[in-house]
Amino acid sequence: MLQLKQLMHKSLLMVIGSALLALSTAVYADGDKASFMPDIPEPKDESLKCVQPEDEMKKNHMEYILHQRDKTLREGVRTKQYSLKECINCHVEKNSTARFGDDKHFCSSCHNYAGVTIDCFQCHADRPSSNNKHSQSTSSFPHYADNSVEGASK
Amino acid sequence: MIEKTINFSRRIFVEKTATAVAGLSIAPGVFLNQVAQAKPADQAVTSDVRWGMLIDTNKCATGCTACVSACNEENGIQSHNRPATDQVWIRKVKLRDKQTGHVTSLPMMCQHCEHPPCVDVCPTGASMKREDGIVLVDKHICIGCRYCMMACPYKARSFAHETVTDPKEYAPRGKGTVEACTLCVHRVDEGGTPACVEACNAAEHGAMIFGDLKDPNSEISKELEKHGGKQIRADLNLNTGVRYQGI
Repeated sequence: MLQLKQLMHKSLLMVIGSALLALSTAVYADGDKASFMPDIPEPKDESLKCVQPEDEMKKNHMEYILHQRDKTLREGVRTKQYSLKECINCHVEKNSTARFGDDKHFCSSCHNYAGVTIDCFQCHADRPSSNNKHSQSTSSFPHYADNSVEGASK
Repeated sequence: MIEKTINFSRRIFVEKTATAVAGLSIAPGVFLNQVAQAKPADQAVTSDVRWGMLIDTNKCATGCTACVSACNEENGIQSHNRPATDQVWIRKVKLRDKQTGHVTSLPMMCQHCEHPPCVDVCPTGASMKREDGIVLVDKHICIGCRYCMMACPYKARSFAHETVTDPKEYAPRGKGTVEACTLCVHRVDEGGTPACVEACNAAEHGAMIFGDLKDPNSEISKELEKHGGKQIRADLNLNTGVRYQGI
């Protein structure tokens, strides 16, 4: 009797196991792998380097922006290197229809995925304005320069 | 070493540009673009300058609201058709002398005090004064308690009651924080003049002069030396950065 019970238990587990396996492969086969990862929009000009290596930015972008925000507001330091405005200038199209909160917006694409709520865009513009004074094309000191002009001592 | 060289040449460039632009005057004393000392972007502001404004109420036209519209446009301030709670950074005030019937019109905004009461009362340190005398709200740490609004004798500050859609990228504004005239700090840091002053000049009233109160050779200092300027509520000893003539 005990043996029969153990056998039944075993076979039930196997059925559940194979069902789960089938389900997971079905999901994999159905959508491609990208659906598991956030779809982060590429910068406007891919030839430009970011202000820090990508891995560093992924982990620590908030630290750079935080320090820059205090320097800008309280000391009037307006270098472009770690400015939130420049992030937006580079990563969001002018007059883009993607607003913060949409999966297509650079910031929210990842923040939605990670479930991390930010309040930057309750005050800050989430896209560059059409008459942007600081766009990369008109700037004589682009933020992505090789640190020799601005931010060298940072 | 390299950085020093670059900064040096940039300073020379700024000086040369300032001289060149100053040459483009329409009439003696009236400049197309008044270029103040633009500091390099990577340097912090210092107390070597103190930004101020001088308003000649005799030149300020009754009924003209060019400065108010320019401010609203520049900083993205929108009315919600509720005058009691709409944000006001700058407003026109009309004073009538009962005895003579003389009407004085003047723009009223943050007076950028040397000893700002709003900074004294702020419980979080959000209300602050920059080294160059510009009084600002750090909205990152403002909790919206509105003590500063109560402390300000000039009724210069407003509370953002509504969600701000499409703020200007250089003038971030958001619901739940207190805000006021920034003296167009984003323009000043680039050597520009506030939007209201520009609009007043464009309207050919020329009632507002912006400049460095600590520079004896600036237009504002010379005018103050020659004709003087009054503080509103001078009895409070706040040493305001905004001065008025003709009141």
